[in-house]
Amino acid sequence: MQTPKFAGKLARDFGKRAGRSLAKQVHLPYVGPVGLWVILFVVVPLGFIIYFSFVTIGPFGKIIPTFTLKNYQTAMAAGYGRILLRSFLFAAVTNVLCLLIGYPLAYWIVKYGGKWETLLLLLIILPSWTNYLIRLYAVKLIIGSSGLINSALLNLGLISSPLHILYTPYAVILGLVHVWLPFMVLPIYASLKGLDPSLFEASADLGAAPFKTFSTVTLPLTRGGILAGTILVFIPALGEWLVPLMLGGGKVMLAGSLVQHFFIKLGNAPMGSTIATFLIAAILLVVYVCFKLGGRETLERVI
Amino acid sequence: MKSWHIGGKTLPVIAVLVYLFLWLPVIILIIFSFSADKFGIRWEGFTLHWYANLLQNVGVRHALRMSVTVAIITMIAATVLGTLAAYGLYKYKFRGMGALRMGSLLPIVTPWVVTGAALLLFYTRVLPIPLGYPSILIAHITFSFPLALFVILGRMQRIDWTLEEASADLGASRLTTWRKITLPLLLPAIIASVMLIFPWSFSDFTITFFVSGIGTTTLPIYVYSQMRYGATPVINTIGTIFVAAPLIAMLLMNFLQRRRAA
Repeated sequence: MQTPKFAGKLARDFGKRAGRSLAKQVHLPYVGPVGLWVILFVVVPLGFIIYFSFVTIGPFGKIIPTFTLKNYQTAMAAGYGRILLRSFLFAAVTNVLCLLIGYPLAYWIVKYGGKWETLLLLLIILPSWTNYLIRLYAVKLIIGSSGLINSALLNLGLISSPLHILYTPYAVILGLVHVWLPFMVLPIYASLKGLDPSLFEASADLGAAPFKTFSTVTLPLTRGGILAGTILVFIPALGEWLVPLMLGGGKVMLAGSLVQHFFIKLGNAPMGSTIATFLIAAILLVVYVCFKLGGRETLERVI
Repeated sequence: MKSWHIGGKTLPVIAVLVYLFLWLPVIILIIFSFSADKFGIRWEGFTLHWYANLLQNVGVRHALRMSVTVAIITMIAATVLGTLAAYGLYKYKFRGMGALRMGSLLPIVTPWVVTGAALLLFYTRVLPIPLGYPSILIAHITFSFPLALFVILGRMQRIDWTLEEASADLGASRLTTWRKITLPLLLPAIIASVMLIFPWSFSDFTITFFVSGIGTTTLPIYVYSQMRYGATPVINTIGTIFVAAPLIAMLLMNFLQRRRAA
């Protein structure tokens, strides 16, 4: 009769302990569902991308689960390293252009927007909420060989044959800036908006010329916003595939184009995963550097 | 007071050019959607013909129905997930908070192709989820819930929570407190999140393209398939709808906020 008693005590003890720890887990009903969702549909799929970059598939599409670096060697031998570098370069150029255009715009909205501020901001956000496939198509209507720009210039007699703008690297960069610019403007706007105007007044009163105030006070204080914008522009630009497809016409391939090519066209998951893993690594690097340089503010502005 | 403003003359010029740069393609698209030109690429006189055609186009109707269904389910599911998580993150301290935040940030900072490819790989190689409604819904909820979470979390900081404590002190059960106090307090944030997620899900192309499989079509996928046959006025008309949908959502949100404020 010893055993049941003991078992009962054990069960009671266990129940108590479980009860206590459950009582402490009051947050679980709230964060549990998202936690599970993140693990199942975010972390695990990304993990499998990395896993697949180290295996190969056999004749009937079966995975051969032995660790190999073959995919990486193939990628390098096939010259995909150049495409990855090009993606990095294009993303960097896009980012710099977005910053050069977006900063003055955000500055203008904050300083001179007045009662129109909300509307002006809305006009920046709105295009980014419309389908970007359609926006790229519309860009084509403008820069294409029989597009608006060319027909206008031809009609004016300024050129005798259409300019080749579409399907060049310049068109791709134009498209990238067009699509991702709003994501640079918004965090910089938020950052500028959060500054205390008395800082500028103090700087001016102490004799700094307006430009000096800008370069020594305004710009350094909006670093968080700039870096947040960089995360929001650089990363998607790095993984872009639709812009090179639509405006580069398949002649200008980027890393995203390769991922799409291998996964959708060829069904070659290991090669696609290898390129995607390169992208993930590059992105982690960019995010890490930006957070390191910008601290908490950057994180808050990204969100 | 001395002046500290710079660029008073050049900034407006830059601003006008940027707005033009952002809006010109969209405006051209809208104008061409009313043009009689049968390719929809130049102006040949006003017509509503293409909109009438659109209403009769079975392919468009199917795609539209699917897009709206997906967007509505995504909007509800993502908002429920996001609201609960935001509440948990705001109200409690627990182990793994940072991990949860970072994990929720991942779908925002991962490029769409990578998210799309990862989910496709997961569906086809790991957990057999049929490509179609199930795969598209899971994907849309995955890239939408962080939006709800962070929008609501941001707004929670500006809410006066004493009412909730009072309710608990007066003996209301957890559920009653949620129903009578917490939800009404969160309602503006929830509305904001819903209004953001609907157009977000409705207009997604890349991720849906990866996970939709053969046969199922949302409106952006339909547009893409039309583009492969060259320029047609259908694209202009659908494009105009895509511009109008978030515009209406934003105006509605603005209107609702003003009514609450009044």
